[in-house]
Parts: sequence; structure tokens; C-alpha cells
Amino acid sequence: MSIQNKLKRLKKHMVNPVSTEAVPPQSTTQKEYDKTIDHAEYWEKLGAVPYFFEDDYCIIRKVEYPLDQMWGRYRFSEVRDAVSRWQDVKADHPLHAKDLDASQLFFFDTETTGLSGGAGNTIFMLGMSQIKEDHVLVNQFFLPGPGSEVALYHYFLNHVKELRNLVTYNGKSFDWPQVKTRHTLIRDYVPSLPEFGHFDLLHGARRLWKDSLPAVKLSVVEKEILGVNRIHDTPGYLAPMLYFQYCKEGNPSLLEGVFQHNEWDVLSLITLYTHMSRVIQGNGLRTEREIFEAARWFESLNEHERAISFYNEVLQTGSSLHYQSKKSLSLLYKKHNQINTAVQYWHELIKENDLDEEPAIELSKYYEHSIKDYEKALYYAVKAHTIWKGKKRLLKRKEEQERQIFAKRIERLEQRIIQYS
Amino acid sequence: MFRKKSIQQVMEVLREPDISKQIVHWKTIEPREAISVPLPDSLHPTIQSALQKRGISSLYIHQLSAYEAALRQESFVAVTPTASGKTLCYNLPVLQEIANNPEARALYLFPTKALAQDQKSEINELIDEMGLDIKSYTYDGDTPANIRQVVRKAGNIVMTNPDMLHAAVLPHHTKWVALFESLKYVVIDELHTYRGVFGSHVANVIRRLQRICNFYGSDPIFICTSATIANPKELAEQLTGNPVTLIDNNGAPAGRKHFLFYNPPVVNKPLNVRRSATLEARNLARLFLENHIQTIVFARSRVRVEILLTYLQELVKKEFGTKSIQGYRGGYLPKQRRAIEKGLRNGEIMGVVSTNALELGVDIGQLHACILTGYPGSIASAWQQAGRAGRRQDESVVIMVASSSPLDQYVIQNPDYFFERSPESARMNPDNLIILVDHLKCAAYELPFQENEKFGNQEIEDVLEFLVDEQVLHKRGKHFYWMNDSFPAHNVSLRSASQENVVIIDQSNVADVKVIGEMDRFSSMTLLHEEAIYLHQGTQYQVEKLDYEEKKAYVREVDVDYFTDANLAVSLNVLEVDKEAKSEQNARAYGDVMVVAKTTIFKKIKFETHDNIGSGPIHLPEEELHTSATWLTFHYENLSEEKLEAGLLGIAHVLRHVAPLFVMCDANDLHVVPQVKAVHNQQPTIFIYDRYPGGIGLSEKVYGSWDTVLDQALSMIEKCPCEKGCPSCTGTLEEGNNSKALAVKLIAQIKGVPHHVDSK
Repeated sequence: MSIQNKLKRLKKHMVNPVSTEAVPPQSTTQKEYDKTIDHAEYWEKLGAVPYFFEDDYCIIRKVEYPLDQMWGRYRFSEVRDAVSRWQDVKADHPLHAKDLDASQLFFFDTETTGLSGGAGNTIFMLGMSQIKEDHVLVNQFFLPGPGSEVALYHYFLNHVKELRNLVTYNGKSFDWPQVKTRHTLIRDYVPSLPEFGHFDLLHGARRLWKDSLPAVKLSVVEKEILGVNRIHDTPGYLAPMLYFQYCKEGNPSLLEGVFQHNEWDVLSLITLYTHMSRVIQGNGLRTEREIFEAARWFESLNEHERAISFYNEVLQTGSSLHYQSKKSLSLLYKKHNQINTAVQYWHELIKENDLDEEPAIELSKYYEHSIKDYEKALYYAVKAHTIWKGKKRLLKRKEEQERQIFAKRIERLEQRIIQYS
Repeated sequence: MFRKKSIQQVMEVLREPDISKQIVHWKTIEPREAISVPLPDSLHPTIQSALQKRGISSLYIHQLSAYEAALRQESFVAVTPTASGKTLCYNLPVLQEIANNPEARALYLFPTKALAQDQKSEINELIDEMGLDIKSYTYDGDTPANIRQVVRKAGNIVMTNPDMLHAAVLPHHTKWVALFESLKYVVIDELHTYRGVFGSHVANVIRRLQRICNFYGSDPIFICTSATIANPKELAEQLTGNPVTLIDNNGAPAGRKHFLFYNPPVVNKPLNVRRSATLEARNLARLFLENHIQTIVFARSRVRVEILLTYLQELVKKEFGTKSIQGYRGGYLPKQRRAIEKGLRNGEIMGVVSTNALELGVDIGQLHACILTGYPGSIASAWQQAGRAGRRQDESVVIMVASSSPLDQYVIQNPDYFFERSPESARMNPDNLIILVDHLKCAAYELPFQENEKFGNQEIEDVLEFLVDEQVLHKRGKHFYWMNDSFPAHNVSLRSASQENVVIIDQSNVADVKVIGEMDRFSSMTLLHEEAIYLHQGTQYQVEKLDYEEKKAYVREVDVDYFTDANLAVSLNVLEVDKEAKSEQNARAYGDVMVVAKTTIFKKIKFETHDNIGSGPIHLPEEELHTSATWLTFHYENLSEEKLEAGLLGIAHVLRHVAPLFVMCDANDLHVVPQVKAVHNQQPTIFIYDRYPGGIGLSEKVYGSWDTVLDQALSMIEKCPCEKGCPSCTGTLEEGNNSKALAVKLIAQIKGVPHHVDSK
């Protein structure tokens, strides 16, 4: 029996059978590389030129944008201001562009043939944007077919090696490790990978907008936060399919949308970095939620001074985040030995909200340990317990634990009162 | 209270007439002296002193041979019985290499995670004594993410299992450059377990490993260890694709061993039905357990394990508590298994009831007695299980209790067959198309293929072109590239035909619903259908809902006095004939078939009496299987359809036992289906098919030897002392037909020889 027949029969037992729609005749006729390429005219129209290396080539596309063009809510040029303002920020922060100039940032994104992190996932496009003297330059390095990676990375690593700092969206755990993986496969033929500094904006986007957006995908952040509205965008998840089809049919116009999508991605990263920097620097128009989340971010970085000042900013707005900010402030003040302000806040918090037992617990601790006023301490302990009992809880185990803590505190305070009376 | 008897005294009990009349064969295997040699001078001084500190001042002769083969850069397989110091066979060469060259790496493959954990502790003790900075790590699903990076970059010795290698290491080989560049040795422990479907998969994983090694410029030597099988060298060469040296000069000592064949008494003469092997095994086990003799009881199926467990726990409940007897089988979760292994080693557990999961070399220390409930299906596997008793140099006893099955009765009545014949060959077929295609996808994902590249020794151009048509690969120039957005290794399971397991969820306690085990999908059709009684650690659960789509079975604890047994209905279609041979009397063929299996009803069977006390329907979708099969068609005369059917069923019943015996495989790998009118030719036909999609070469072997197989079947039927057919030969029929005579007559007719038995 022929292998082909057998294969067809057994197809059902093979996992993930790929659909077998009629496949148009293939145009895999291989060209002798006499420094001409397939579809040269189309590439030229797209602003792309081939780069030849040994017997092979990759496609380099360059697009320029004026610096003062608006992209969403900012002009590209505003990133310069955002970067230079970092120099005034003394606090430490993951997005801090220490000693950098806007032109040293490389806004970077890749298009790949899959989402898995393994050796078989190919990067077919490396895209980046940078701020030049008088324009924004988008560079796209495109793999005209599997097997041309040596040409691609040869160009990328020889021409872009001055880059220092990548700005990406999830590049830390996806794009850059994948570049490393592909590079390992051809490391004997291309220069080694330089070390990079790296700003991954996904982490910050999660911190700032996780609670206010349905998802923190770049497309959602663009639309909801940055005011970038794409028209006729080719969604990123289609990129692998389109590339496969291009490989089969050889027609680069299939990829027009992918080039555009990648181009817009790396441009939006400029606006995103500008906006996130401004939020964290405390500069310009920001929502209360953004100010509040920036405060929390600083708090988690142990940059309390900045955190306190941002929380106070939220307090002045009188928004729904007022209560939480005041509570965070009270705890920060407690840490920084400004206990009187903290106590004042706790009293206010209890008045403002009868669903939160924590301020009462804090007051109980304060009266017990600092003032040694056990009557008052007991009063707040009982109050906290009452509030706590009124709440519904989901986790049984935790409830029991908390109940015991309350019981212990109340019992201890009652004994103290007997002891000292 | 009675005084505890020693093992010798218990053996005296076995010689008493009541029991000894059932013991049809008593073989004493005399002890064997050690053959030792001094540590070789070339051995690195730190290893010499480390061994001496651990009280090892000499090697067994086979350990030296292994060491020398490795020095000559030869791949080898060492055949080592239980407790013969096999670990030194690979640890010595590996440590020697790393002591001389700290950059060198070794990869150890163990069939299970548990074995890797065991071996890591063992080699680390030796490394500690050496005082060198040699790092050995296990790498499996439990390894925390932060440790993984260390293992990849710095592990001299990485211990893992084929599944991890397949799904986590090879597809991410760029993260393992340090390992692959300097990979000097690949150790494959328990080689004999790599047979059948699993072995065929792993052979392909090794082909992928070798491609990647070549890419990074290394060419590792393979070191295998195996239990006794007929063809260790052939198997190792098939698995590794390398020429392999055989080392079988075992120099380890062994204690005296008594091997007893126990045939339960006949309780129904006309039907030749014997007392249940399970009940007899229980009584024999009690004899040992009462006297505090650590005993392992093997049973052939999960269900039998659980039934025996229930019985034995009941027996010892008062004296030791039920915890002292434990079950051990594949469906248990790893943590449970670890605890059982530990309990055995420190003596808290007196008895274990196990499926063949414990055939593997998990270190459970010394057991004095071993009871096999039924013949395990192969000589090799019987010796493996018997090896569980008397690992050290004491006297030990092994009792094999025969069931009524034809195979058991054949073996127990022909002790020579068992003791004189060499154990079976382990077979695999790495070139099974389904398996090959699966792994070619994975391999193409890992590195592109070149035109004319071979995969192992296999030409693959056709398959690569097929995958191009399927739009999985893309051909450009002289290369085939992976061109798909999936991660192929995640869709390929090395362990079973059905890719996904059914998870078993206990919802007895609504507040604490938990997963208690898992089972492959095909088995779940007959064991986890709704209303099935599922036994787990001796506790009975009733299946309340089987969500076949979501692969979940919801069970609730119950207490009933029966177990369930499901029927599987099978239909067969011939798709293509590859080989054919015709004679006047019959036609035999080999080719591709489609099998459709469907569970229909289940029966409730009462404990102890094994009475049928009820039944119910099962509503599950059909499972389809495309595989290879051989079939025998014959002409018949003068026989009513009813009698013909009875005769065919009888032959099939015998063939189910003879055919696996003949091709040396597990009875579950080969299925026999008789049809009075086969769909494809309307003729009476007997099919024998491989239980794995695409086939693994078993039925093909039967095709070439139908005559021999039929002769064996005939002799088994004729030798059986029953009158009209019994469960030990042709099975029993409700109608009162003489199926024995019919079967004999039919075989004669099929073979075209005169027959002398009257069909009455």
C-alpha cells in the first residue's frame, strides 16, 4: 500500500489535523539569487528594499513620520519631554530613563508564527521605531521565507547594534527570549546578541489599568487610554495565518496589513511610554485612578515620599478612591512615625465607612500599645469585631483564623483591664 | 495468640497435604555466589575512595565489563537482574568522565519520575563522598521554575523521563545549549519497559534527541540497563539507532528461591471451573501476613488489585490496622505512591497489592514472599515480579496462582515452558506511521529538515511531502520548515493511544471535592461508565456522571457488595489488503482495518460468590480505531450458523491467549474478533488486530504463522481435561453446545486435515 494512502487513512488518528482546503498551485520555484527578488515592484511600492547577504536576502522597510504628528493624545515629540523629565525624578522606578535621551529608546515589537516559546516558533518580522533628529523612523526587518534568518539577523545585529534600551509590550517574557532562541539556531553565522536594557510596558499597564480595563492588551490600552483609533487594522492573531499563506503563494500583498499592524504597534509604544511616564512623574492630565495606582506602585517600590504625595493628590479630588487613599496614607504615616496624623485619619475613616474593620483594629492596637488605654482599646476591638461579623466571607478557613485573632485580642484586653483596675 | 512462624516454617505449612496437593510444581533455585573483581586502576582516585568509604572495595564482573565498554566508547546494554548493582554500571562511567572533564554532561532517562528521584539520592551520596563539584538534578513536572534555569545551565547530570524530554526539553533545546554541546552519555534505565507503543514513541524521541545533538556537535554514547528479556541488544539498537554491545555476565550473588506453581482445586468438574485465583491468593497471602512476613501480591488488573486489597485489609484489620496493607497501581497520585514506597522500606507496611507498576526498579527494600495472582502474561514479566521477593541474599518464596484462563492453565501444566524457555522479546515499531508522523512534526518544529535527510534509518521524504500538503510544513529550497502556529509536542502523549486521560473526581464531601486519580480514555469506557463501581485504595465509589467530552468522572463513595463488569461490542471493516495468501480451505490476509468499539451493557457481580445480580445499559459514543490486522477466512460445509458461531467463539477464546503467547506481547495489545459473516466478504472470518492506531507489527507477525498458531490452539483445546469446553479452553456457552468439539472440528476444517472428534 502506498504511504500516501495510508497517511490519508490514518489522518483521523493524528492529532490536530490541519484543514485541507484546496490549495492553489504553489509557486515555490526557487530563484537564483542574482540580486533580484520576487515581487520587487511591490516591495518598492511598500517602501521596502532587499538586503543581500551571501546567497540570501531579507526585506528592510523604512517609514518616516513627522515629529509633531499627533498619535493618540500626544505628539511623538512629547516623548522627548517625558524622557527629560525623568532626570528630575529622584525616586527609583522601573520606567526611569536614567541618563537617557529619547533617541536612545527603541520601541520594539515582533511578529511570530505562533505563541509558544519553543524552538519552532519563527519571528518573521522585527519592527522598531526611534526618535530621530527631525522625524520618527520606523524600521521593519522582514523574513521573506523560512531559512533566510541568517540574512535577517545579520542585518539586524550589524545595523542596529548601537541600540541600548528596548521599550516593549510583554517583550521581557516573549519577544526578546524568542529573539534569543532564533539567534541560538544560527549563532555560528551572525554576530552575538548585545546586552539590552529593557522597559516592558505591559507590567506598568497592568499596574495602572488592570482594574479599569476589561483586558490590558495593547489594542485595548490604545483605544481606551491613549485615544489611538485604528481603522482597518489587521488583528495580530491573524499574522501567523497570513504569513503561512504568503509563504505558500508568494504574494507579499497578503502581508500589507501585518506590516501596517506592526508599524502602528511600535508607534503606539511611543505614545504609551510618554503617557505612562507622565502618569508616574505626576505630570499633566491624569485620572484619579491613575494617580492612585501610581501611588500604590511607588508604595510597593518603597518610595514612600512619592506615594504619600500622590495619595494626597487623590484625597483632594474627593473621588471614590478617597477612602482607600486615606487608609493607605494612614498606614504610611504610621510607618513613618507620624502617628498623630495616622490616628486622626483612622478616626475619620471609621466615620466615613462602617464596613471596614481595619481602622478600628489599628486604633485598638494604638490604644493598647502606645497609650495603654485598655478601655479604649477594648472599645475599638469590639467595634472592629462587630464590623467584621457583619461582613459575608467566602473563605471558611480564613474566617476561622480571623475569628481567633479577634477573640484573642478581646480576651487579652479584658484581662488587662481587670489586671489594672 | 499463636507464635509467629519463620519463612522456613511457613514453607513447612505449604508442604502439608492440604495445600501441597494443589502445588503442581515446586522449583528450588539454588543460591549463586558472587563473582567479584578489584576496582580498576584507571578509575579516578576520588571515585575509588568514595566507593571504599561506602564499603565497596570490589566490583561485580558485569560492572567492570560495563565500565570497560564505556572506556572503549561503545554504547552498551547491561542485562541485570533485580538487586545486582546495576546503577554502578552507568554511574561509574559517567562519574569517571565528569571527574576527568568537568564540562561533560550526562542525561539519565527513567521511565517514571519516582525512579529518577530514587537515583538522584543514590548518585548524590556517591558524589558527596567524592568531594567534587558535580551537579546532578532531576528535571520533571515538579521542578520549580527558578531551579529549572540552574538545571539547564549547570547540571552535569540531568535526570528526567521520556515525557519531559519529549515535551519540555527537546522543543526548547535552545535553552539547553550547555547540555547538548557537551552531552557525553545518555543513560536509559529499565530498557525493557520501552516496548510496544511506548517504546515506539520513545525510539522516535531518541531520534529527535540525536538530531539535536548533531546540531550542537555532540554524539553521545548510550548506556542501557535492562531486566532479562530475550532480545536486549536488538531492543537497545532499535531504541537508540546505534550499534550496542551486550553485557550479560552477571556476577551478583542471589539467595535461594522457591518458585511454586499453585493450581486452585476444581469446583465444577463438568465445566472444569477452578476456585477463583483471587480467593486462593488471598488465603495464601494471609498465611504470610499472619506471620509478619512482608509480602507482595501482584494482580493483573486494577480491579483485581482493589478487590484483593479489600479482602486483605479486612483480614489484618484487627492486628495491624488497614494501613498496613496498601494498594499500588498506576491510577494513584504520585504523593500516595511515594508514601507507600516509604512505608515498605521502613516496614510500616506489611503487604502490598500491586499491578505491574511495581515491576519497575522502585526501591522498596526486601520482601520475603511474592504471590502472583494469575500468570502475568509473559515469562519476562513473571520473573520481574518474582524478583520482588528476596532482593538480598535470603531465602524467599514465590507462588504463582493459576486462574482458569487457558493461558494460565497451559503454563502451570507445562512448567518446562516457563522454566526452560528464554523470556520473551520486547517488540516495538518506531516506524508506525502514526507515531512517526507525530514525531516528525515535533522534530521539524525543533529543527528544519533537509532534503534527503533520514530520521534514524527511516526514509521520510514521503511523509515530509504529506505534511507539506497538510500545510504543517513549508518547503523552501532544500529545506522543510515548520509552518504552523501550534506546539506539536503538546498533542502527542508517549504513553497511550488515546491522548487524554479522564480525571476522577470524588464529590462525596460537597465541601471538599477532590481529584483522586486518572485513567486513560479507552479504559474509562469500561471502568468509569455511569453506575460503574470504581475501586480506589479499597474504597468503593459509584460513578455518578461521566463527562466524556470534558474527560471528567464524578464519583461518590458507596458501600455495596458487588463490582461491575462492562461489555465491549466491536465491529470490523477491511479497508485495504496488503498481503494475501489463498489455499483450497482458507484465505489469509493482512492489511488495514477500521475497528469500531462501543460499550453496550454492564453487569453487577457479587463479591465472593461472583454471581451476576443485575445489569444496565451504557450510553457512550463509539470509539474508532484504524489499525493493521490479519484475518483468516474459510469455507465451511454442513454446519448450522448457530454451531458455526459457537465454534468460532470457541476458537477465538483460545486464540486470545495463544496469539499473544506466540508473538510475545501483552494480551491487551492484540485483540481477536470472530465473525460468522464478515462485512467485507460475507464469509466466516477470524480477525486479529493491533490495539494501537496504525499497528505496531504484532498482527503482521501472526499473518506469517497462522498454521503454527492454529496448531497451538488445537493442542491447548485437546489437552484440556474438560468435556464440552470450559473457561480454560474454548469458554462456556449457555446453549449447551459442545463448543470444544465444534472448535476442534472447525480448526481441522480450516487447516484441511481429517478430524476425529465427533460434534455430537
